[in-house]
Amino acid sequence: MYSRKNQRDLTRTEKKRLVDAILELKRTGRYDEFVTQHRQYYVTDAQSGPRPAHMTPSFFPWHRRYLLEFEKALQAVDSRVSIPYWDWTRDSTASASLWAEGFLGGNGRPGDRQVMTGPFAYRQGNWRIRAGVTDDPFLRRNFGRPSAPVTLPVAADVKRALSDPVYDAAPWNSLSTTGFRNRIEGWGIRGGRGVANHNRVHRWIGGSMAGAASPDDPVFWLHHAFIDLLWARWQKAHPRSRYLPARALPAEDPQRGRIFTLDQPMPPWDVAPSQLMDHTRYYRYV
Amino acid sequence: MNPTTGTPREPAGAPRPARRAVLRTVFTAAVIAGTGAALAPVLLEGHGAAGRAQERDAVGPERFSELYRGREIKGTATAVVAAGAQADAGEAGAVTAAPGIDVRVDGRALHVMRRADGSYLSAVNHYESFPTLLETARAAVDELGTAQLSASSPHTI
Repeated sequence: MYSRKNQRDLTRTEKKRLVDAILELKRTGRYDEFVTQHRQYYVTDAQSGPRPAHMTPSFFPWHRRYLLEFEKALQAVDSRVSIPYWDWTRDSTASASLWAEGFLGGNGRPGDRQVMTGPFAYRQGNWRIRAGVTDDPFLRRNFGRPSAPVTLPVAADVKRALSDPVYDAAPWNSLSTTGFRNRIEGWGIRGGRGVANHNRVHRWIGGSMAGAASPDDPVFWLHHAFIDLLWARWQKAHPRSRYLPARALPAEDPQRGRIFTLDQPMPPWDVAPSQLMDHTRYYRYV
Repeated sequence: MNPTTGTPREPAGAPRPARRAVLRTVFTAAVIAGTGAALAPVLLEGHGAAGRAQERDAVGPERFSELYRGREIKGTATAVVAAGAQADAGEAGAVTAAPGIDVRVDGRALHVMRRADGSYLSAVNHYESFPTLLETARAAVDELGTAQLSASSPHTI
């Protein structure tokens, strides 16, 4: 059992340890394997294959396990490290300490969106993007996307999602209009609602985080730790609510074989959502 | 708005109502000359219980070519594939481009996928979707800034 802290509460030493562990995974090539894996499991709901990670009820448990794997890799480098979370409803500006020189570095510059500050700036020599969406070897950020402005979600957005007592709802994809899962995953629904919460944060950071290789930006892990914390908060707020679908779908359901019900093992780990319901087996949020 | 022709000068706005007639029409691949891609026309109907919703939200064929913020964007959708009826390739089923779709920014392929409502998302904008390929391409340019798309498209790896 270890703790995951709010990133704003980390000491300078804790930040340095985390950054150093991330850079070490990058150096060995392990980091890029995580990036590739996320890309590989990005299956959309227009495709007929299984979708464990996005547009799907198992969005939360899949990413919980994915973060656990990354955290385990970090801890193999430095056992004192864990993934902190970024509460973007609170630290919501470009001047937040998260983006400081001594932590994740700041916004990208105009034009090519290249991040110029902090340990992940290309010119530091330790963060080369391979197989990204663009030809550029550098990390890109584009806070707030000035060309078509987007704002970070606010506390009220999160509160609204947390107040939904139902975990997820048919059609169990990006078009689910009710349910905690898609309210947080945040797919925009035509004529209904705009891009929200999780998706909106990816979009606000922009650059690498907006695209298919989003874990190229280390803030990915801090963002998803907060998403994971929101899931835990929802569970606590609705103790009688359960992961849905709880049982295997009937043969005629178009989502059968495409989504993962409570006890269906998810690739690549062969672990079912039911095995990931209780995070306190591994860590606690402080 | 005619969904069978390019509409580069029209503001890409509200989702277009797709008609059953559109789904039933076969379009040839002749329009894609110049891209070098060999795209076969595909015609699939929505299947099962989800068929009706997919039809309603399906987007018709589209073709455009324009200069947007100094970048040349081109796109063709030669196929009408009901979302959800799309076949997968590969084990994980991922990094599969939507069939019959070719979008380019300065000649480089933009990887495009679809959502169940027929809207599109690209490798550049992976967390939002757009009703038309034109909007998808423009949004990609907005996000790219001066960057060029990768020459080695991930879905060919």
